[in-house]
Amino acid sequence: MKKLLILALVCLLAVAFTVSCKPKAKQVAPPPPPPQAKEQPKVEKVEPPAVVKKPELSEEELFLSKSLEQINREKPLQTIQFDYDKYFIRDDAKFQLESDAAWLKKFRTVKVLIEGHCDERGTEDYNLALGEKRAKSAFDYLVSLGIPAERMKTISYGKSQPLDLGHDENAWQKNRRAQFLVIEK
Amino acid sequence: MRLKKIWTGAAMILAAAALLAPQQEFKMVIRDGMPAISFALPKFAAASPPVQAAADEIHQVLTDDLKYSRIFQLLPKSYYDYIRTLDPKAIQFKDWESVQANLLFTGEVAEAEGGETAFVRNLYDVKSQRPILIPKRYQAKKADLRFLAHRMADEIMKAYGEKPVFESKIAFVSDRDGNLELYRMDYDGANQERLTFTKWEDKSPSWSPDGNMIAHTSYINYSAGLYISQIYEGRRIAVSTRGGNFSPCWSPDGKKLAFMSTMDGNAEIYVADIDDEALKRGAFRIKRLTFNPGIDTAPTWSPTGRQLAFVSDRGGTPQIYTMDAEGSNVIRVSFGGSTHHDSPAWSPAGNRIVYVARVENVFDLYVLDLRTQQISKLTESNARNESPSWSPDGRHIVFTSNMRGGLQIFAIDYDGAGLRQLTTKGQNNWPEWSY
Repeated sequence: MKKLLILALVCLLAVAFTVSCKPKAKQVAPPPPPPQAKEQPKVEKVEPPAVVKKPELSEEELFLSKSLEQINREKPLQTIQFDYDKYFIRDDAKFQLESDAAWLKKFRTVKVLIEGHCDERGTEDYNLALGEKRAKSAFDYLVSLGIPAERMKTISYGKSQPLDLGHDENAWQKNRRAQFLVIEK
Repeated sequence: MRLKKIWTGAAMILAAAALLAPQQEFKMVIRDGMPAISFALPKFAAASPPVQAAADEIHQVLTDDLKYSRIFQLLPKSYYDYIRTLDPKAIQFKDWESVQANLLFTGEVAEAEGGETAFVRNLYDVKSQRPILIPKRYQAKKADLRFLAHRMADEIMKAYGEKPVFESKIAFVSDRDGNLELYRMDYDGANQERLTFTKWEDKSPSWSPDGNMIAHTSYINYSAGLYISQIYEGRRIAVSTRGGNFSPCWSPDGKKLAFMSTMDGNAEIYVADIDDEALKRGAFRIKRLTFNPGIDTAPTWSPTGRQLAFVSDRGGTPQIYTMDAEGSNVIRVSFGGSTHHDSPAWSPAGNRIVYVARVENVFDLYVLDLRTQQISKLTESNARNESPSWSPDGRHIVFTSNMRGGLQIFAIDYDGAGLRQLTTKGQNNWPEWSY
């Protein structure tokens, strides 16, 4: 019995001794203090808030922001010319009307007035009728290019609004015309 | 007793009848080619020195009016020196007969209340020594003495069964105030006065026969509409605003307004019925007269109102046609060297139509006699002469010309004599003589 007890005690002592001989955590030296920085005022740059970038106005919005006067001053639609005493659309006029139609299709809210004009070599009454026919020719051609009739109005001024006050064919040709006025945007 | 009463009654009735009986009427009809009537117009007597200027002014205007009439031949100034000075209270008719005067006009001017001028006149047939007009006393402000003289000239015209001319007006278009507006002036170009005041162009006037309204085109709201302006009421009434509406012409009876319109897509002639109800409501019955794809425009009424003349290019080039008031019986009346005719105007005196024809870029006025089919050339100035309009008596024509540079309004007599310029300020055209 005694022998057993002494054995147990010795074993216990041995275990205790082992346990207590567990290597102790190394005593890590505390990290050295950081090197002392030199005494300087700390500057923190404050940037202004970033510049807001305006979304680019679409061509349409740009257009709508202009006044009718401004739009007309820029002459967005080409004036077409006619032969003497005639009201048919010439080939050169057809090209111009095609580009006019393209512009009208781009700015779909626009309404235009098509003005028919004559040169001084016609007579007053007949010229008013001829001017109407010229405006109507341009109107009909634009309709055939797909511009809705409700977007266009026609009017005749006869020979009362010449562009050129000269008395030669150069001036007269300039005056025999159909020209456009934007009346609604 | 009873018998005496009857005699007295009868005598009274006879006396009254004698008073009421008209003066012996002088029915003279003026015909072309008749020698002009010799008219003595001695200076007017001024009752006091302050009215001498008025007397002279009335005399001058009346002299000009009578000269213009082409009916009367004023006595040459020298003839007055051959005879005794006129005493209006004791006229020596033999004196006037001796200088071959047919008519004698006497006048006396005096001051009237309110600073106005009073004028007493008489017109005598020299041979029979009888007065032609009932003696009358006129009164007018100093500023209106021209109108007083014109009134008297018209009374003389009416006594001869002629249409009065001297109180008539000419409407026209001018840019003198910037924009094309309507104006009017006296027959001789005096008293030019503006009639329209919108920012829109106005053109193509036509008078109503009563002289109170002008039909015209106006470009209100970018539309060439036909409007009637009631010029003494400051009111404007829309007649037609669909399509383009131009060249109105009022009928002589005032009941119809013919015009050109593209309301149905093509230049055609329409007639609107004019009556008080329509004018009040601003709504008019409109009837279409022409139905062909060519241009039909520039209607003008015959003096009976039963026919219209107009321009049409239905045959290829613009020519003058006539049709009846319902639109049927269309007949071409222009022929000859020109391929471009426009702006016919039918004489109020009957069978003549004046129009514009273009020959090699020169525009001249021609007069077509519908009875004889003869055409006479009225202007010969190598210029652009347009928009003719007749005087109420059919003896004068007013028109636009650039013969002296720019556009101005001129008047000329039916036989090409007496050319005179009526406007000078700005550019002026579209003259239209009132009825």
